[in-house]
Amino acid sequence: MKFAQDILIKPMITEKSTSLLEGNKYTFQVDPRSNKSEIKRAVEELFKVKVLDVHTLRVKGKLKRRRNAIGRTPEKKKAIVTLKPGDKIEIFEGV
Amino acid sequence: MKVTAERVEKSTVEMNIEVEADRLAKALDMAFRKLSKNATVPGFRRGKVPRVIFERTYGKAPLYEEAMESLGTECYLEAIKETGIEPIAQPNVEVVQLEEGKPLILKLRVEVKPEAELGEYTGLKLEKTEPEISDEAVDEELKKLQTRYAKLLTLEEGAVEEGDLVTIDYEGTVDGEPFEGGIATDRQVEVGRGFLAEEMDKGLVGMAIGESNEFPMPLPEEYADTRVAGKEGLIKVTVKGIKRKELAPLDDEFAKDVSEFDTVDELRADLRVKLQTAAEKKAEADLRNAVVDQAVENATVEVPDSMVSNQVEQMYNTFMRSVAEQGMQPEHYFELTKSTEESVREELRPEAVKALKRDIVLESIAKAEGFEVSDDELSAELERLSKFYREDSGKLREMIEKSGELDSIKAGIVRNKVIDLLLEKAELVEGKPSPQE
Repeated sequence: MKFAQDILIKPMITEKSTSLLEGNKYTFQVDPRSNKSEIKRAVEELFKVKVLDVHTLRVKGKLKRRRNAIGRTPEKKKAIVTLKPGDKIEIFEGV
Repeated sequence: MKVTAERVEKSTVEMNIEVEADRLAKALDMAFRKLSKNATVPGFRRGKVPRVIFERTYGKAPLYEEAMESLGTECYLEAIKETGIEPIAQPNVEVVQLEEGKPLILKLRVEVKPEAELGEYTGLKLEKTEPEISDEAVDEELKKLQTRYAKLLTLEEGAVEEGDLVTIDYEGTVDGEPFEGGIATDRQVEVGRGFLAEEMDKGLVGMAIGESNEFPMPLPEEYADTRVAGKEGLIKVTVKGIKRKELAPLDDEFAKDVSEFDTVDELRADLRVKLQTAAEKKAEADLRNAVVDQAVENATVEVPDSMVSNQVEQMYNTFMRSVAEQGMQPEHYFELTKSTEESVREELRPEAVKALKRDIVLESIAKAEGFEVSDDELSAELERLSKFYREDSGKLREMIEKSGELDSIKAGIVRNKVIDLLLEKAELVEGKPSPQE
């Protein structure tokens, strides 16, 4: 079993994610290998909240060219976690 | 907003300003809105970042700074309005408390116009002189008119006299070789005015038309043609024509020509009157100056340095503008007078101190006497100005109000009132009539 800290890489704070907070939805960048149930468990364990729903999406790495060598930036996985009304996660607090 | 003001030194006032927390919050909000427009935070478009995130990335300091810039000046202006302090320099601001949710407390130190310790300013003793115009002065004036209207007569023959306008050819040589700039034909020049080399200038007198002569001519060291600079040259001059200035005869005809009068006697009388009024005006101005000088002498004034340097700067700028108006580059002027920016400023300094002292003393007297400008006086002054500038008085007033000159006009009126008072209370002693130029 993976540790919660290994699954949740960092909170994503962007314009879009801030507007999602209104629906009590928190966005994280997560380990691409993790699945929804793992993410749900990790968030519940780490922040002591009740998760109702998890949506995930993969962000493909962008093509980057350096002279003729083609490379890719790493792929990311985002997870949008809906919490039970009333629950909060401190690091997003105040937004 | 709460303000307390206290005079801590002769020309310094300490103000304590307390601004409500609400107002500070508003200012911070404005500051944030302004700053966020240009703040880049990853994940957000410009101007879209929420305040909390902004503060997390940049901290509160930029907000405070921005808020203080506008709120600080605003409060400062309000505070001086409320306390009636007239600052003369930028204030020294110390922020005592600046925290969101708490009132803002500022401590300001401002330099203000010092007040003069007035000495005796009534019963000043002054010597008043009645200007008297002598016949010689009138004659002088007539002579000036004559020269101005002098005619040039072309002489057919005769010899050159001093003051004549001659047409000459000349050729300068050094060791038999002509040099650059040493040759000219048909040049017109006035003799005896120092426009020519000395030997030549003197030698020309007495020469007849068609006559040629040679004069030694030392060439200056800085002469343009370097091959001959500093050497002894020889110049050959031929006089080709002579024109002589002829003064118009002093008769009624002349009077008619140059003035609206028919006879010389009338012209003379008119000149006398003009000279008289000019002299009287000058005497009056002198008297006003003298009375203020005395009042200043009797008073004790300490002029703060910042005021002096301000004044010096102002005078320096005016002075430099006048130099520029004469078509001279500042650098050129410094070179000519062997001065520097610093030395000119230094020379202006005593003048500046004097002017400031006069201002301060006059103001203090005005305060002591409780002089104020009434609306009538102000309109009268504006009326006078509008005539002077040929501008509608209403329009002029608007313009002046807009440019903020109204205060200085008021100050001028008060100043004149004070001087009037000084003169009124002064003991005028009849001085000896001094001959006027």
